[in-house]
Amino acid sequence: MRVKKSAIALVSALSLVVGLAVLPNANAATTVKMVLWPGPEGDAMQKVVDAYNSSQGKKDGVTVKMILLSRDNTFAKEAALMKAKSSEYDIYFTASYLVGQHAPYLSDLKGVKDSLYLKASVNSLKVAGKQKALPLDTSLHFMYYRKDLVSSLTANAAKYTAIAKTVLGKDLKPNTNPATWNWDDALATAAFFTQKYNPESPTKYGYALPAKNLLYNTMIWNDVLWGLGGNWLKNGKPNLNTPSGKAAIDVYNTIYTKGLTSPESSQWEYAETNAALTSGNAAMALQWNAAYSELSTTGSTKDQIGIAPPPGKGARTHVHALAVGLNKFSKNQAASAKWMAYLATVPAMKTYATAGGVPSMPEILKGMVATNASFANIIEYAGKFGYSESAGPREFDIYAALAEVLSPAWSGQKTSADVAAAADAAIQKLLK
Amino acid sequence: MSTTFNRERKVAGWILSAPLLILLAGLLIWPIYLGFQTSITHDVLSEFETYPVGFENYKSILSEPNFWSSIRFTLIFALTATIIELILGFALALLFDRYFPGKRILFSLMLVPIMIAPSLMAVMFRLILNENIGVIPGLLNKIGLSYSIFDQNNVFTSLIILDVIEFTAFTFLLSYSALQNMSQEIYEAAAIDGANKTQTLWRVTLPILKPALAIVFLLRILDSIRTFDSIYILTGGGPGTTTQTVGIYIYKTAFIYGDFGLAASAAIVLVLLLAPFMPSIIKQFNLGTGDSK
Repeated sequence: MRVKKSAIALVSALSLVVGLAVLPNANAATTVKMVLWPGPEGDAMQKVVDAYNSSQGKKDGVTVKMILLSRDNTFAKEAALMKAKSSEYDIYFTASYLVGQHAPYLSDLKGVKDSLYLKASVNSLKVAGKQKALPLDTSLHFMYYRKDLVSSLTANAAKYTAIAKTVLGKDLKPNTNPATWNWDDALATAAFFTQKYNPESPTKYGYALPAKNLLYNTMIWNDVLWGLGGNWLKNGKPNLNTPSGKAAIDVYNTIYTKGLTSPESSQWEYAETNAALTSGNAAMALQWNAAYSELSTTGSTKDQIGIAPPPGKGARTHVHALAVGLNKFSKNQAASAKWMAYLATVPAMKTYATAGGVPSMPEILKGMVATNASFANIIEYAGKFGYSESAGPREFDIYAALAEVLSPAWSGQKTSADVAAAADAAIQKLLK
Repeated sequence: MSTTFNRERKVAGWILSAPLLILLAGLLIWPIYLGFQTSITHDVLSEFETYPVGFENYKSILSEPNFWSSIRFTLIFALTATIIELILGFALALLFDRYFPGKRILFSLMLVPIMIAPSLMAVMFRLILNENIGVIPGLLNKIGLSYSIFDQNNVFTSLIILDVIEFTAFTFLLSYSALQNMSQEIYEAAAIDGANKTQTLWRVTLPILKPALAIVFLLRILDSIRTFDSIYILTGGGPGTTTQTVGIYIYKTAFIYGDFGLAASAAIVLVLLLAPFMPSIIKQFNLGTGDSK
């Protein structure tokens, strides 16, 4: 009897201990998992996450955990998760060029103040008028050029004109203001700084052309298209098999076939373009704004790199925003919304900028021009020259398809006449 | 007793194999079934709803020129690389099939390339071979040589060279292992019969090693057909689709274009194209083990 009573007491005590251990702690914070990619954005966001978790997060009862996937395959992994309607992550990393594809899997965001952001950035993340993601970094393109070289053009005007005639068949005079360049000016300047035509050129090539079969390179080429008055679509129909489309393809084709860039540039993308400029082997390139910090402090471009809008007229720099969106299938909608509300504030984005991010808030960018001079250009160009393709949910696919169809022409294997119709067909197939 | 013993033996075999069979079912058969199911579905990332479409994806893939051009490139790449790697690997195995000073250290160094992940190797090559900052182009320039490694006219050769550097160690290792299993008496008998080294190689060594080398060839070519990471990192399959392997095609179809149904059907078509070679591989394995069951 005594043993039986002891046994009952022991079992009761054990049950109480186990029960208390497994009971959910009423005061435990909800963990919100957010995906980002490694690199400057991931590093900067970690500071914001840390700041939130140690302050506002405690009041909200939310702890944010950031997961960094591979820089190359973040979107591929997210595609698989979204298709599986996974609730593994609460917040996805996205971008303007992907938000159409991701929209079915993202919740609408409410209460985002458009006035805080660059108009091009915040609007590029709307689908059917609904805000689907919150802007983080704004990316656009600059024409980077060697200031020391371009300023010397007028001293060699006769040679410049002769080379332009030889390479382009046109009578051109040097233009030392890249902000007013058209593509003839850019090509003639590139030819002048190519040793094949000017053995005295300090650079081996005049241009660093990112011509690899890569959708991000299509974004850069798109600046040429828009600068020449072209666009993917006109009245909803593909528009590359047109004079402006072919002219844009011919710009790249000319750079490559005339030897104004390295033959290896058919495999180049961001890193190789930077290497060509900083090593002193190229004089100019259309490149992402993020390259400024490296170009302005490294090698031959240190203190010598100038920034201009892409050559041409009108809106002619691709603008997109990296962003975060709320997973429609997340089991922590309310907690995630609290974190997103914090991210949408100026203090949060100031922390982001201080840690190396490039937030889409003009107020912050203006205040940080002293640390990164290109921020002033970002504000100006996004407003004055910025454009975003609005090709719907298959926009990302169109970039990839165009890279595939056009890169042979970019690298001289085919002509614009060979590929322009195929480019239109590729766009049409994806618009169905 | 014999019948009962055999029956019990069979039952014991099934029971002992059960854990592995369950694992195989979970990790192999179930994903294959899911892949097939996806291949007969319209399953595109930008469209929320999925629905069955029968064999429409298969019809699309079989009439897609890019798919067949990627198959063609893959086969040319795999055959070229494998033949070179087999010849080079066997030649190195012959070289190492004797004592010489430093053999152990050299042997270890020979195996370093296969210890490095292919994607990491590709990133390393991308840096080392970069025209502007790479060591190799810098050295070539210093000795007055100019060779554009990734010039579109040279890119196929460059990709083959990189694959050979990485995977010759594999063919070398297997060939060396096969050579070590050959009895010295065979060589002695050949010497007594008056065979010189070349005759010994062609008439004794190679015929005996033929099944083993066939296995090495088949293993390597199957692996080479699956090449994805190194070419994707170096060229992205470009310019255009000139260096696009079937692996890159399937990856882009799924994760760039978001068409999982089409990608799954492409993967299954690839498996069906390779399947007829399986009996040949199994036969070579059986010849190699001397078991002709």
